[in-house]
Amino acid sequence: MDQALFRLLMLRLRGGFRQRLIQLTSLRGLLFFLAFVGIIWLLVATNSSSSDMVSMSDAALNRQALSAQISTFMPISMLAMSLLTVALTTGPTFHFSPAEINFLFTGPFRRRDLIIYKFGAYVAGATLSSALIAVFAQGQTGSALSAFFASLLTITFVQLNSAVIVMTSQTLEGSRLARIRYPVIALLITAAAASIVYAWMAPDRSLFDLLSAFRYSWTGTIILIPYIVFAELFVSSSLSQLAFWGCIALLINTALLRAAIVLDARTTDRALSDNARESSRWERVKQGGSYWATQRAEVRSFRFSPAWGGLGPIAWRQALNVARNSLKVVAVFTGIAACAGPLIAAVGIPLSDPRVLTVIYTFFGFILPRTLVCDFRGDLSRMEIYKTLPIAPWRICAGQLVVQVLVTYVVVLSLIVSITVFEKGFVTSGALVFAAFALPLTVLIYTIENTIHLLFPKKLVPMGRADFEFLGRSLVEFIAKTIVILVAVAASAAVGFATFTTFRTSLVLPALASWITLALIVLLTLVLMQNAFRRFAVAETVD
Amino acid sequence: MITVTNFSKQYKGFTAVKDLSFSVEPGQILGLLGPNGAGKTTTLRALCGIIPPSSGRLVIAGHDIAEAPIAAKQNLGYIPDDPRLFDTMTVWEHLAFTAAAYKVTGFEERAEALLASFELTHKRDTLVHNLSRGMRQKVAIACAFLHDPKVILFDEPLTGLDPQGIRGIKQAIRERAQAGSAIIISSHLLSLFEDLCTHIMVLNLGECRLFGTMDNVASEFGQTEDSSALEEAYFTITQNKETGQA
Repeated sequence: MDQALFRLLMLRLRGGFRQRLIQLTSLRGLLFFLAFVGIIWLLVATNSSSSDMVSMSDAALNRQALSAQISTFMPISMLAMSLLTVALTTGPTFHFSPAEINFLFTGPFRRRDLIIYKFGAYVAGATLSSALIAVFAQGQTGSALSAFFASLLTITFVQLNSAVIVMTSQTLEGSRLARIRYPVIALLITAAAASIVYAWMAPDRSLFDLLSAFRYSWTGTIILIPYIVFAELFVSSSLSQLAFWGCIALLINTALLRAAIVLDARTTDRALSDNARESSRWERVKQGGSYWATQRAEVRSFRFSPAWGGLGPIAWRQALNVARNSLKVVAVFTGIAACAGPLIAAVGIPLSDPRVLTVIYTFFGFILPRTLVCDFRGDLSRMEIYKTLPIAPWRICAGQLVVQVLVTYVVVLSLIVSITVFEKGFVTSGALVFAAFALPLTVLIYTIENTIHLLFPKKLVPMGRADFEFLGRSLVEFIAKTIVILVAVAASAAVGFATFTTFRTSLVLPALASWITLALIVLLTLVLMQNAFRRFAVAETVD
Repeated sequence: MITVTNFSKQYKGFTAVKDLSFSVEPGQILGLLGPNGAGKTTTLRALCGIIPPSSGRLVIAGHDIAEAPIAAKQNLGYIPDDPRLFDTMTVWEHLAFTAAAYKVTGFEERAEALLASFELTHKRDTLVHNLSRGMRQKVAIACAFLHDPKVILFDEPLTGLDPQGIRGIKQAIRERAQAGSAIIISSHLLSLFEDLCTHIMVLNLGECRLFGTMDNVASEFGQTEDSSALEEAYFTITQNKETGQA
């Protein structure tokens, strides 16, 4: 790497480190950092104590079974990730910030030096991620050091592999080969869907059986060769094995880096326009906008906004926000939810399994609210506008929630429908009960999200990979939200149970009592949110 | 139309504005003048209900902003120094949103006229994040004018505007005042006050140092060869205070 660029990299790393230290000097930063470390420690301790509780032979068996699963499914997952990257990629493969473009593109540097510099910056970030992964993966690889190297080489491979695939497709753009891109993707999706349907129909074969058969077939092995190397890295049982697979992984990464440099020379113009687009997207994200916002400058305006006593314009604004910012996200999430039913059926795990419930809760309680933002959380820089509107605070709050809740509810309903259709033994009346309770629960999730946000406003994106304050805060918020939801559900269930024991009637009355209790709790949180909006202090500029 | 009585604002022990009292009648344009940190923006933000006063009364068109905020805001138009618009909405949709929020019926004709007067007609369907800062400022002003407010508060209204835009905004402010609106402008541009304002208030360190008509200021401080009466007043007041404190 060019010496000046290396120095720049070091200075930026030092700057990042200094920024984290500054975060720790504030009480809030320190508390969130401690919360983050505490939760990680708790997870690691729980993990190790549960493995201590099983006997040595059981532990060895467990490890063997896990190794077999990693060998089988990790290469397939990595291939799927690569294909997704090609299908969904929107930004440049190596993103340069506006400052980097101004300083480095006009400086005396070769393009290959800039790519190596950018790669160096990526590896620095990946080192940190690997350190974190190593804490959890050390039980599998035997030592933290081997887990660290396996993770680092794998993460680097994922980035380089994606970059090379995308650059290759960009190089081929306009040629005849590019025309087959979408037919090939369609073919792969059809094959995947056919496999899921086959697994669902066949009583003795699950989806995992099919994937396993593919992995160990000749075709599968040839297609998955580079990915198998990285899976073997994780399951190496001795130092010599680790060194062997590590060397091959290093060679693959070096070859990919070389390929990226060669391909970059052919895609420079495209990379520059992608960079400009990516930078404007991130600028928008920093101001509370969406990464996926429409790139069009002009659109057809809607002529009127509904009034609905003040609630209308706020909801209408958020509806436009979703339509122009997040429609793709909504489609993806609805698609994922719709696939849940066949997936759960194909895998063969019952819906009541705690793992399935945890995944569903994490999806609706954490992933979806973080990704799909169309309420106060995305309007931090526009709070002045809301504060000056002649509309009652409760109407503004309700207006902010309407679209967010409705869109989420559509995703929830597609999940319920999909499970009802595919899960054997799941009756329609059960689906209706789920649908009825899902609505107040969805409102509850977003009322809590918004109340926390109004009381303790925060940025939506972390300041780089190691923003521990952000990570700690996200975890603390998630836990707090989960506690409130659990309390609300417990109170609602308790009222339902009390009604049942008192009247001894059918389940309709207890369910109704339970639903009303939940709805009342939601109204209470809405009042809290309104108060939080009232006391929200727009940045108090002293001028 | 605007009545401020004994208004004070404290932030964590620091007094941003201290015991401020003044009034602005319909047709008057008050210029708020003062160095950075004088309390101008705090006063404007308290007047439009963004921040609550620590003490005192702020009355807009007969409604106390703390006690009857909805009624007060219905008569108010505020243009902040950095207009943050909704980036997924077009120029026209901002006007439609404002019309619904302020319950303006049959707003279309009026909105068309505002777009024309601010030379935004051809940008009607443009998403606002594609507009220049000056254009965004014009959109914010058009939105603030749409419901024909009795009170208009401008915080640095000319930032980012080209000479043509500046002339247009000045003309619009004059017309609003002639139509009976009470207007407050906060700015560092002394020439803007000399062109537009009927009254002047000089704030320094959160306190009112001078409040009067432009004529009073001119007669009290006079004009020298190098500077205008307003400039003379500004520097005399702010520098005397700083020297006195030192």
